[in-house]
Amino acid sequence: MDLELAILFLQQGLVSGLVIGSVYALLALSIVMIFKTSEVPNFAAGEVFMAAAYCALFLMVFRALPVWLAIPLTLATSFLVAALFRRGVLTQVAKASGSPVNLVIATLGLSYVLKGLVRRTGYGDTPRSFPALVSTDSVMIGQASLTRLDMAIFVAAVVVMAAVFWLFAYTKVGRSMRAVGMNPKAARLMGVNIERVHMLVWGLSAVISAIAALLIAPKILMTAEMGSVVTMAFAAAIVGGFTSLPGAVVGGFVIGIVENLVGLFISSRAIVVAPFLVIMLVLIFRPQGLFGGRFAIKKV
Amino acid sequence: MRIFGLLLAAIVLIALPFFTTGYVIYLANILLTFTVLCLGLHIVIGEAGQFSLAHAAFYGIGIYVTGIAGTKYGLPFPVTMLIGGVAAAAVGFVIGVIALRMRDIYLALATFAFGEAMQWLFQNWDAVTGGPNGLRIAPAHLFGHEFVTDKDAYPVVVLFALLMIGLTILISRARLGRALRAVRESEVAAQAMGIPVQRAKLLAFGLSAFFAGIAGGMFTLFSTFIHPESLGFSTTMLALTMVVVGGLGSIGGAVGGAIVFGLISELLRQAPSFQEIAYGLILIIFMMYAPKGLFAFLADKFGRARHG
Repeated sequence: MDLELAILFLQQGLVSGLVIGSVYALLALSIVMIFKTSEVPNFAAGEVFMAAAYCALFLMVFRALPVWLAIPLTLATSFLVAALFRRGVLTQVAKASGSPVNLVIATLGLSYVLKGLVRRTGYGDTPRSFPALVSTDSVMIGQASLTRLDMAIFVAAVVVMAAVFWLFAYTKVGRSMRAVGMNPKAARLMGVNIERVHMLVWGLSAVISAIAALLIAPKILMTAEMGSVVTMAFAAAIVGGFTSLPGAVVGGFVIGIVENLVGLFISSRAIVVAPFLVIMLVLIFRPQGLFGGRFAIKKV
Repeated sequence: MRIFGLLLAAIVLIALPFFTTGYVIYLANILLTFTVLCLGLHIVIGEAGQFSLAHAAFYGIGIYVTGIAGTKYGLPFPVTMLIGGVAAAAVGFVIGVIALRMRDIYLALATFAFGEAMQWLFQNWDAVTGGPNGLRIAPAHLFGHEFVTDKDAYPVVVLFALLMIGLTILISRARLGRALRAVRESEVAAQAMGIPVQRAKLLAFGLSAFFAGIAGGMFTLFSTFIHPESLGFSTTMLALTMVVVGGLGSIGGAVGGAIVFGLISELLRQAPSFQEIAYGLILIIFMMYAPKGLFAFLADKFGRARHG
């Protein structure tokens, strides 16, 4: 490979990596948000993402609702389902046993239910394409080519991230979310309604997943298995330390870029495995992730 | 009560090949294989409290190594299974060494990543694993006798399952089992009691992988084909579900969970979308109302009824 081609590949890999990475980053944010407040890795994140995409597809294509109505409806549905799952199911699971494994298994249960439901509707049986809301004309950035849709994805994702950070850093709700994550007992003593915070976090996390789904859906073929994208988001969250919101975003971009560069420079077959090698390397050399805090030994 | 249950299980196991057809025997083989797989997960998660999510990878290593040793090199099956088990255990030890540096969620995620990487290897190392086309496995043989049908393999599968259950009970009652449980409850306290925590964890990972490898070997006894698609995270999750639904931390729970949940998922196979919904609901309801597992739940109800 000569130098000129390598530079071209490098530019294309970086730019495409940033676009897909922004979607991974959103999904990773939604996972990390939940993990920070309740120490549960949400294994249903991928299926929430998938179900939201199908909800939007159903409303826009099969019910022919206008976009301005279909999108808020999708987001609201995602919020409600996730918040109710937290309130109706996880609260009971947590009460029945203190073990986090049980919470994880319950989220796994949700993922199966959602996948099964989408298949029952019959829309999930054949691959479908989602209408693009922004034109797919291409634009050149440097020597890299992108579509307008790609740019819209990136910009929208960054706006959502900024909103999430603002929420966590500057609002009262965000402060109570952080407080619950740090010390639930102390937060309760300070008058935080823990159950409500958990519901809000789950709801918001689902809304972020749904936004990620709406952004990426026009670029990929929709199937009931599309939730598997979430493994990349988990990879991103791990690289970022799993408890850090900025870490999740950086991790998302790192995974997106690595994936694209590996695809361009090594082989497209290696794309799938690259993120896992990145995770293992990061964890072997820095077991708490790039942005994770130091380990605290639990008291006896 | 207990003896009665064991007796019943023995009668069912012995009578099965005389009264049933090929499918039931196949089902029994699969369930027994899953039992051994679950016992391995029980050792690392239930006993030692180390969250390992790479179990399907070790199972896969067992299947491929045993299958290749038998098909390509024509070795008799006890030898091939031993090689498969030891190969899986060796990889398990390496993962254990890495795992010593991590805990909780990071350990779970690192092992998850390892599992995904291994599945990729199974799918893409065409020269050895046959890649996405899968691998044909020749019938296992011993002293010139070939094990062709499910029925041929059944006695051997039962034997191995019983051996591995016995081994699990032995480990659980030995010093090692106590050390593992101490590590699960509190590493700091275990260390203070003079338990070599690092060695205990390494052994847990190695043994768990060995069990998975043997389960893989059992699979090759009655199956003629393996496809890497079935060696991913969903298989790990299936085993984890069985162990948790049966009752995390008890051997009976692991065995019972494997059989009961294996049957449920097999019965629901006819309707894939219903299967997923039912499967998910079972998980959710169990976690909500029977978090200690099916058998603890039944014992609780039964005990309560008896006491009045």
